[in-house]
Amino acid sequence: MESKEKMDDGSLIISNLNVYYSDMLAVDKVSLSIPKNKVTSFIGPSGCGKSTLLRALNRMNEEIEGCRMEGKIIWKGMNILDPKVDPVALRSKIGMVFQKPNPFPRSIYDNIAYGPRIHGINNKKDLDAIVEKSLKDAAIWEEVSDRLVESAMGLSGGQQQRLCIARALAIQPDIILMDEPCSALDPIATTKIEDLIDELKKKYTVVIVTHNMQQAARISDYTGLMYLGKLIEFGETQQIFENPKDELTEKYIMGRFG
Amino acid sequence: MLGKSNRAYSNGKNPFHKKVDFKETLIVKLIFIAASLAIVVSLAILYTLLNGSIEFFLSPKVSILQFFTGTKWTPNGTDPSFGILPLLSGTVLIAGGSILIATPLGIGAALYLTQFSNKKIGSIAKPIIELLAGIPSIVYGFFALIVISPILREYFGASYFNAASAIIVMSVMILPIIVSVSDDSLRAVPRELKEASLAMGATRWETAIKVVMPAASSGIIASILLGLARALGETMVVALAAGNVARLTLNPLDQVQTMTAYIAQVATGDIPPGLAVSAAFAVGLVLFAITYIINFIAGRVVLRIQNAGKTASNKNKKLNLKKSLKIGKDTKILSSLNTNIEVKKIQSETTLGFRHKVAKVGIVLVGSCLIFASVFLGFLMYSILGQGISRLNINFLTSYPSANPAIAGIYPVILGSIYLVALAMIFSLPVSVGAAVYLTEFSKDNTYTRILRRLIQNLAGVPSIVFGLVGLAVFVRLFGFGTSILAGSLTLSLMIMPVIIVTTEEALKAIPMSFREAARGLGATKWQTVRHHVIPYALPGTLTGSILALSRAIGETAPILFIASVFAKVAPDSIFDGFLALPVTIFFWTRHPKVEFQNLAASTILVLLIILFAMNLLAIIIRQRSQANRDW
Repeated sequence: MESKEKMDDGSLIISNLNVYYSDMLAVDKVSLSIPKNKVTSFIGPSGCGKSTLLRALNRMNEEIEGCRMEGKIIWKGMNILDPKVDPVALRSKIGMVFQKPNPFPRSIYDNIAYGPRIHGINNKKDLDAIVEKSLKDAAIWEEVSDRLVESAMGLSGGQQQRLCIARALAIQPDIILMDEPCSALDPIATTKIEDLIDELKKKYTVVIVTHNMQQAARISDYTGLMYLGKLIEFGETQQIFENPKDELTEKYIMGRFG
Repeated sequence: MLGKSNRAYSNGKNPFHKKVDFKETLIVKLIFIAASLAIVVSLAILYTLLNGSIEFFLSPKVSILQFFTGTKWTPNGTDPSFGILPLLSGTVLIAGGSILIATPLGIGAALYLTQFSNKKIGSIAKPIIELLAGIPSIVYGFFALIVISPILREYFGASYFNAASAIIVMSVMILPIIVSVSDDSLRAVPRELKEASLAMGATRWETAIKVVMPAASSGIIASILLGLARALGETMVVALAAGNVARLTLNPLDQVQTMTAYIAQVATGDIPPGLAVSAAFAVGLVLFAITYIINFIAGRVVLRIQNAGKTASNKNKKLNLKKSLKIGKDTKILSSLNTNIEVKKIQSETTLGFRHKVAKVGIVLVGSCLIFASVFLGFLMYSILGQGISRLNINFLTSYPSANPAIAGIYPVILGSIYLVALAMIFSLPVSVGAAVYLTEFSKDNTYTRILRRLIQNLAGVPSIVFGLVGLAVFVRLFGFGTSILAGSLTLSLMIMPVIIVTTEEALKAIPMSFREAARGLGATKWQTVRHHVIPYALPGTLTGSILALSRAIGETAPILFIASVFAKVAPDSIFDGFLALPVTIFFWTRHPKVEFQNLAASTILVLLIILFAMNLLAIIIRQRSQANRDW
């Protein structure tokens, strides 16, 4: 009964997911469910498949030639890997923030307005409201409100990344995927993003991939450890870090490999 | 202890003191001179154009004001008039018209190749674009006059010679430049930008048009400028198809004369010597100035793109530093999601169907640019094969030219072209390789080196007909070589040297620095290092580049139009003899009113294309061999 409820309230249920790059198996039979309005993080050494798993959730993997996905990801009662599901429509509901801040080389305003514009909002007033709200929600409004027309390339790395989060919020998604969003940032900027993620989970489901175990421990409600394409262990963050069931998880958390 | 070590140098020579190696110094001096030839060649171009122009403008029949503002260009007759505006309008009409067609086609094809095609389509399309780039302009000229022009006459009432046929054919000729430069700059757009757009639910079409294309805009502009410069400097298509009457008109169905076509007209001896000939130098000067400026701007744009990555990251670093100093102040962070701004709900479903339709239509449109290029290539090959295959037999290859088309052959023509290119290779290869070795291995980054590099880059963009004028003024007249194969091959050498230098430099730069360091670490001198550990590895790359440069030289018509003979019946015996050459023979036979000779031109084109194909194949084989044998 409870699992049925979960299925309908917008959690992501992944079952037997395989992702191949040509012949290489990058994600190997992964099954788990990502709960709604929580922060779920995936940790693991480089090349373990955590980013590939994340990019399966909005089918960004399809943009890589030779990539193939098997299995199911159920969200709102549909399998989002089904070829009938339009990735364009899907991505307008599942936003993504990337490892390196990637603002478009245009104004701050136009960066935020890009998404709403392509999704059919062209009224200046509506756009203004969305831009302001998105920037406020991403906690960067105060720093940029007086220079919205300036190029986003002039912002600092941390500001650029918060701008990218604001840009993802502007399309009004239900889920936000973050692929090592702090790995290119200094500690102060990282703290700001982490605080922001904590705020975001009130309204959004956040899935984050991180290299940094401490970060996962600080910000996430659920944590999964991946290794060589397999999901080694998944559970509540506190349990994973204080009482890991798997020996490999324990080793990884103790810093003895990876 | 001290005394002992002193005794070791008792012959008075400390082995650690610098010695002067005479041979090495000489070699470095020689390749320095080779690189400095760029200055000599540039000066030769300036000398040629200025000397001829001064002679022209000093004539009492000419005024500079009238030259630049006059609307009549009638160089013949008793009362000649030299107003360049008709030549300019002809040039602008044809270059502008072809750039208007080639720009959307080229950008479309590049967009399709970089954003929408898969590897399979790419592997078919790339050779098609390369083929279009490798076909000599004389072949395009033949196609314009013999195939396209009759169609325009039939259906649009165009005159026998017309601008439109030249515009159509030239737009395909410059297409490869636009495609390849745009392609490079579109590929250089960071993947992250594309992904950012896709992840927000943009279609691939929207991503390509709204994100990737704007980010590559400066490279695309450069590609258009480079295409334009090529169109302005192109000679053979316009000389054959557009006509020889300078008219102040923008009607593409009319015949017009371009600046290059006028110079070609002088070169082919259609104009009696005198003022009309020196006018060609003045026209050449104007042409040189225009293409120089356009190439200069395009070069700056390309340079800006190449440096963009470095300077941007530097700028960011500086900004980051500034920002991080400020950060202490605004620690009052994090407003929250409580901001209650009412925003309009995005209803992406309502427009989704329409957006997908737009994407589909767009992708089909840009894809059809590639299809157009392929169809054009197919049509060109088909027409030439159809017209030329019947005469392509052993008799044709072994007989001499004749006024009787039934028995005419191209034996001395083939020999002439082979001698010409072999000599050009002998002249240009050592000098170019020497110059490239100096520039990459020995030169210091100072003003002189920068000037040399800039000059070499500029020389690569000089219209080929201008080299024809240089050959005439310097080798034929000043050096007194006459219209000999020596003068012809020297002229071609000037033209291909920049190409060989650039490809050799690339081959040298590809050799890992560690090779040089290993040799220097063992005590090898700089020259020994280069001689034993750099040049041998760069040789295949150099050879490939040289063969490709020669294959360009063998198809070039304009530079030797002043020099090659039309009627010589035999192959040259010495380097001071006159000679026939394939492209020049094609030119005259294409212009011949008798259709039998036009067919012979097609047969000769086939021979030329087969030679080109063989040379390219050789280059590919060398490249693949060297890559297979390479173990680093």
